[in-house]
Amino acid sequence: MSAVSVDTVGERAGVGGAQARLENVGVRFDFDRLGRVLSPTLTRLRKVHATAWGLRHVQLSMEPGTGVALVGPTGSGKTTLLRVLAGVIPPDEGTAEVTGRIGSLLATDAGLESLLTGRENAELLGVLAGISLDETRATMDEFAARTRLGDAFDRPVHTYSVGMRARLGLAVIQAIRPDVLLLDEVFEALDHEFRGIVEDYARELRERGGIVAAAGHDHTALQRICPRAAWLARGQILAEGDFAEVVAAYRRA
Amino acid sequence: MAMTAGSRPRARRMRDVLTVLTRSDLQVRYGRGRLRFLKWVLDPIAALGIYLLLVAFVLDQGTLATGLSLACAIVPFQLLLSSIVNAISAVQLRSSIILNMRFPRLLIPVSSVLTESVAFVATLLLLPAMMLAYGIAPTTAILWLPLCLAATVALALAFAYPATLVGVWYPELQPFVVSVARAAFFLAPGLVALDLVGGLTRELLPFNPLTGLFESYRDALLYGQSPQAWEFLVPFAAAAVVLAVSLPVYVRDQARLAKLVG
Repeated sequence: MSAVSVDTVGERAGVGGAQARLENVGVRFDFDRLGRVLSPTLTRLRKVHATAWGLRHVQLSMEPGTGVALVGPTGSGKTTLLRVLAGVIPPDEGTAEVTGRIGSLLATDAGLESLLTGRENAELLGVLAGISLDETRATMDEFAARTRLGDAFDRPVHTYSVGMRARLGLAVIQAIRPDVLLLDEVFEALDHEFRGIVEDYARELRERGGIVAAAGHDHTALQRICPRAAWLARGQILAEGDFAEVVAAYRRA
Repeated sequence: MAMTAGSRPRARRMRDVLTVLTRSDLQVRYGRGRLRFLKWVLDPIAALGIYLLLVAFVLDQGTLATGLSLACAIVPFQLLLSSIVNAISAVQLRSSIILNMRFPRLLIPVSSVLTESVAFVATLLLLPAMMLAYGIAPTTAILWLPLCLAATVALALAFAYPATLVGVWYPELQPFVVSVARAAFFLAPGLVALDLVGGLTRELLPFNPLTGLFESYRDALLYGQSPQAWEFLVPFAAAAVVLAVSLPVYVRDQARLAKLVG
């Protein structure tokens, strides 16, 4: 069993250089008798009561300009797969290689700290994503304008609607200029106008050689940004290919 | 918008990450504005102020500057305790980021200590205030204070790593861990100076790393004498041992924090 994760978070891949390749990837969750997930250290010290594979034998390759929609029922492994691509969860078996700077909207709150203001979150997430603190501060006004949050930009995020949070999260992604864009069920939270902005941005990113991977249940929106789809069930990819064909097979199942 | 990282040195990125993690932690835990400075000054008094009253006034033993002696223990202990409390909840507090993006998670416990160190700087004002109250003038021994502070931060940093792990593994144990830390304070000469303790207890207390730490502050500020070597060696050695044991464990588990908080 090998577990090698190569990523280059913070480093831009350059034009047409984005790549993502998953080889036989597996992500395992070990539980104690109370159903709590055990850390690697605790699995050595305590009895593992149960094991579940969030992903198993996953093969996926994305070349520059690729857009892949992840479809499947809730709990099928879509979010876990996106987290592996983001480098948030390393694989327990197989290898995951992602080249290029990653912009991700994976958590339901887009990684935002609810007690911080929009401005403070922008600084925090921008730096964590790989931009220098000086650059983040120097472009903050431009950043604030992009969010279209107005005065709310300086208010705590817990006062935001879900859509406003998504706007802020996307503005952070746009600021870091990612090569790889990862979206998890974002369309479900967005208004009509902002959906269009996300779709345009995802298309532009693919056209300049970036990669888009998006999971969700709004297949109409997903199809507009992803020509390909991967159907997941019980942590495995059952089918992968042309969006229409894969989604049709998923709906028939 | 031209915000590109390029190939910045790793050290500069670490500095930037640590800065934003600490700034955000300060804002989340302590709010904004000047009132938080007041809170930092009052925190140690609120935490252990009852003992200050008890020992300094109610049980007045007629010893030298009891209030200052007590502050020499309370002030450094406050950094240790608040760092442990911060570290225990650090991963849960940052779960939304941990689930969304990859970043150097090795810095999370360091950020906890830095956050509390900012408060600690404000807390330090208690020491000159007590010296003033008791009319104790500083001597050249005060030059040892930086080493006292370094030993305090080293212990706080060392214990921040296991505290973070316990917060991830068993978050329900937070009150217990805080109780253990408080017990360590009472198993050291916190309320009374080591000189006032006798017998076997006097022989055993130096094995507690807090003993050397508290006594080093007393030597530098209260007694006006150079601290003894063991007063630094024991805390630094304890910090080194705790780090040597806990850091590899943290490194092993930190890559999979998203599994544990997701």
